[in-house]
Amino acid sequence: MQQLTIENLHVSIGDQEIIRGLTLSVPRGEVHAIMGPNGSGKSTLAKVLAGHPDYTVTAGSVTMDGENLLELAPDVRARKGIFLAFQYPSEIPGVTIANFLRAAVQSRLPEGEELEATDYYAQLYKKMDLLEMDRSFTSRSVNEGFSGGEKKRNEILQMAMLEPKYAVLDETDSGLDIDALKIVSQGVNSLRGPNLGVLLITHYQRLLNYIVPDRVHVMVKGRIELSGGKELALQLEEKGYDWVRDDIAEPALA
Amino acid sequence: MVTQNKNLEIERNIGDFAYPETHTHDAGIGLSEKTIHYISDVKSDPDWVREFRLKAYQTFMSKPMPTHWASKDLEAIVFDNIRYYLSGGIQPKRNWEDVPDDVKRTFERLGIPEQERKFLAGVEAQFDSEAVYSNIKKAVGEQGVIFVGSADGLKEHPEIFRKWFGKVIPTGDNKFSALNSAVFSGGSFIYVPPGVKVKHPLQAYFRINAENFGQFERTLIIVDEGAELTYMEGCTAPKFNTATLHSAVVELVAMKGAKIQYITVQNWSNNVFNLVTKRGLAHEEAEVKWIDCNIGSRLTMKYPGVVMKGRKARGEVISIALAGDGQHQDTGAKMVHAADETTSNIISKSISIGTGRATYRGLVHVPKHLKNCKNNTECDALLINSNSRTDTYPAITVRGTGNAVQHEASVSQVSAEQIFYMQQRGLTEAQAMSLSVNGFVNDLVRQFPMEYSVELKRLIELEMEGSVG
Amino acid sequence: MSNPSALLEAVPATAPENAPLLAGTAQRNADLPGWFREQQQAAWTEFQHLPAPALKDQAWRFSNVKALDLAPYHLPAGISDADARDLLERSTELAETDGRLVFADDHLLERDVLSEKMRAAGVIFQPLERAMIEHEDLFRRHFMNQPANLGSAKYAALHQALVRSGTFLYVPRGVEIELPLETFHWLHGENAAIFPHTLLVAEDLSKVTLVEHFRSADRNRGGFSCGVNDLVVGAGAKVTYICTQDWSDSALGIQINATTVARDASALNLYLNLGAKFSRLESLSRLTGENSRSDMLAVSVGIDAQEFDARTLQDHASPHTYSDLLFKNALNDRARATFGGLIRVEPQAHFTDAYQKVRNLLLSDESEANSMPGLEILADNVKCSHGATSGQLDEDEMFYLLARGIPANVARQLLVGGFVNEVLERLPEPALVAKLEDLIEAKFARRGR
Repeated sequence: MQQLTIENLHVSIGDQEIIRGLTLSVPRGEVHAIMGPNGSGKSTLAKVLAGHPDYTVTAGSVTMDGENLLELAPDVRARKGIFLAFQYPSEIPGVTIANFLRAAVQSRLPEGEELEATDYYAQLYKKMDLLEMDRSFTSRSVNEGFSGGEKKRNEILQMAMLEPKYAVLDETDSGLDIDALKIVSQGVNSLRGPNLGVLLITHYQRLLNYIVPDRVHVMVKGRIELSGGKELALQLEEKGYDWVRDDIAEPALA
Repeated sequence: MVTQNKNLEIERNIGDFAYPETHTHDAGIGLSEKTIHYISDVKSDPDWVREFRLKAYQTFMSKPMPTHWASKDLEAIVFDNIRYYLSGGIQPKRNWEDVPDDVKRTFERLGIPEQERKFLAGVEAQFDSEAVYSNIKKAVGEQGVIFVGSADGLKEHPEIFRKWFGKVIPTGDNKFSALNSAVFSGGSFIYVPPGVKVKHPLQAYFRINAENFGQFERTLIIVDEGAELTYMEGCTAPKFNTATLHSAVVELVAMKGAKIQYITVQNWSNNVFNLVTKRGLAHEEAEVKWIDCNIGSRLTMKYPGVVMKGRKARGEVISIALAGDGQHQDTGAKMVHAADETTSNIISKSISIGTGRATYRGLVHVPKHLKNCKNNTECDALLINSNSRTDTYPAITVRGTGNAVQHEASVSQVSAEQIFYMQQRGLTEAQAMSLSVNGFVNDLVRQFPMEYSVELKRLIELEMEGSVG
Repeated sequence: MSNPSALLEAVPATAPENAPLLAGTAQRNADLPGWFREQQQAAWTEFQHLPAPALKDQAWRFSNVKALDLAPYHLPAGISDADARDLLERSTELAETDGRLVFADDHLLERDVLSEKMRAAGVIFQPLERAMIEHEDLFRRHFMNQPANLGSAKYAALHQALVRSGTFLYVPRGVEIELPLETFHWLHGENAAIFPHTLLVAEDLSKVTLVEHFRSADRNRGGFSCGVNDLVVGAGAKVTYICTQDWSDSALGIQINATTVARDASALNLYLNLGAKFSRLESLSRLTGENSRSDMLAVSVGIDAQEFDARTLQDHASPHTYSDLLFKNALNDRARATFGGLIRVEPQAHFTDAYQKVRNLLLSDESEANSMPGLEILADNVKCSHGATSGQLDEDEMFYLLARGIPANVARQLLVGGFVNEVLERLPEPALVAKLEDLIEAKFARRGR
């Protein structure tokens, strides 16, 4: 089965357990949203999927198309097809976007094969046009001095260029005004298709007006407490997260 | 006289190979007046040069090691164990075909003849104590540009040579300039006539092939009024078991309105003590720019300087230092303002990896009664590992009003988050590190000629390999 | 003006000496405890053995070592009652304090007692010679217990050999002293040599501000002061230390400071240097506990041929420590300033933030500034920067003021005031800022005479 599968995942940082038995599957071709209050562990989940060294997985498994992800170094996972759009992308002074992305694309080619520069730039410019990014962007240092919106657009540009199998978008809507939100959403929607599974992590429902999910999951205190269709997001918007918390006492819906 | 035949595979350090020695001239081990007479005899020095050497020898003997401020590692240099002069002949060839086979192979492996064909106006290649090859493109020679070894310079052009030799850097400037003055051999003498702008760089390549050897080249460059020159030097040596000493003196003279750009990519093996004195004299509206990149050596001590003697003269030092495991790059700059409206600029970036230590030492001097002098100094250090070290020791003197001097320094790290971000895009940790480091020095590397900046980036990548994890 | 204290009589008077300073310790301090005098003898021997500073010593580079000729100075004789009264009358700087000590030529003139509440809380604010008897253990634990490693080991030894009075301030755990404590040290006799000592021990979670004033009785009289002030700041404590130095224009001053800051504690030192022909400040801040912080501030205003020589060390010995140094020099006439500072981050002191800035304002063609801001970083995850600038008043700013009709000398003074204010404003207490501004203004007025 082609899907990203998380089973009974437990994650700690130091002594503190943040994810406490989380189970979730995202099939390729689908867009799933995870919503949840602050501190529910959403961003931790995103980083753990990408292999951030600060977190310790104490139990459970994560597989991508049947392959165990947790054993792989962050760069190996990335090359195998998992992509994380960071909530707070790092600045890399002196390294231009063009060179950075080129190194990333090159790293996915078989050993000995050199990236064809003209094809690469043709691709890059096409994707940049889609995201309404100026060409001069490519000669700027990665994320250095970028506005919030520019950083997020840069994340989606990289996603477009690297063609992952599964993309985790961590609070991609944060720091975006409505115009930027539309552009970023448009970018993500254009990448939707049978070959891409997306896990959208968001605190607010508004992103889901533009990127309509196939499924919505609600995460509270390190666990998925509720899952449903896209209408669930609207319910949450209306009733707030407390409603889910009260609901937890009831037999689980999902 | 054959030292061990080193592994001939070209490894990550491109210069780490050596051929058996085939020297016909050897001053023996250790330093005495006899050594100096031997060198003077072999080189058929004029009397004034022999006297100059003998006087310098006395100065060298009388000067203490500068260990009250410099690294104690200097004490590891045993002057009595060093060979001060080795050569296979004293006349450089004009044609690569005439260069002895093993020496030619050395330079071919280092890519020198190829670079010469591609983008250089002239090349001198020094092997141990003497230049084995020296050639200048015909068109450049026809413009009146002189590009010869220092020995030929002092014999064939004494009227220019003697006027400036030892004037920018006096013998007694420091212990190692005195040593060089006593035993110097090789190096370049260049004269560019007024108004001549040499389009392509002249290059010198310095190669140490012999163990226990000290290389003491001496370079004097005079660029006359309104003329321009770019000079590049590279250097490598094999990794011997014992320490090798390289102690050069380089003097630059830029006459009114002249421009000199002097580029060094130093990639000595990790047991070379590289103790070099470099200084330029800039006359009115002249510009002297040092671009200095130190990657190799065990200990480098080098502070290229500019004495701005004429009004509106400019001095610049761009310095990149990479200190890997066991290395100490003690580099910096000296800017002496000696006329009104002179400006100087120092940009230094250093990277310390593993147990490497990078030190910046700077001197900026603006004496009183000068007007409108400016200096700007920036030094940034990047620390890669927790056992890496960086130091900054500037000394700035400013007198009087109307001058502006500014020094800024910072120390930073490649952050773990930055590395993780790049790994998430599929780069290995080492690739990510190398990209970060290249980004750190990127703005400076861009100032190098294209061919050199590519080489530099590659060298940095090689140095970064295995530096993490 | 406070009442003369009864303590004045209680302090045993030493025999008038008037002996040359370099004659040694033989007749000095016969009234002090034997163990103390033994230490003094040992220090004297050390002083004699240590070599005199030379320009080639890195710690004395650019300094004026010739100014350090001590031959003219002698140990002071006693002070007349009339003179004592005069000096007491002039010992007014802060309007409100929680306690005050006044010394002239190393003799205690007056002691304003601490409030009953403070005394009950265990605060000790005593002259040195009493503290070493009444609180011997505490005193010996901290007295001269810090390294003088910024070049003046010789003068620290001299200080210890000849010190006979000064301030001992002890603030017990958790005690907060609201108002500043204040001390005065007067140089009185012609070419008198004095050795002001301050030992401040702030226990955990305590809080105190100490303001010291160094003054000359006569602006035209020479003199030599060789002082030590050691500040020991316990965990979570907060110490503010201010020293206003306004010796006579022909005096020689050496001040050696060491501040140790324990975890979660913070120390702020500010030195205002206005007087002396040559004055040297050596200031060491050692951050020994996590989350400790040290602010090192100084303002020097130089006129005529005054020389200010400052050497500092921000020594980060623990992870997660913070230090920030800002020294500003405004130099007129032939005045000269030298700054040699080092940030040292020890190998284990990761996650350190350390900053160091020196700014020189050269106001005349003959003025000179030498800056040696240094960094030695042996740890990882460090945020460090230093900067040194030398320049003059901004011409546009000057023109702006002139265009408003402000006379040139007033405009300059305003702009110089603005220049040094960046330092003063780092003080937590506006009243103290105002006091320091007054002193700077008085110096300008003196130049204008």
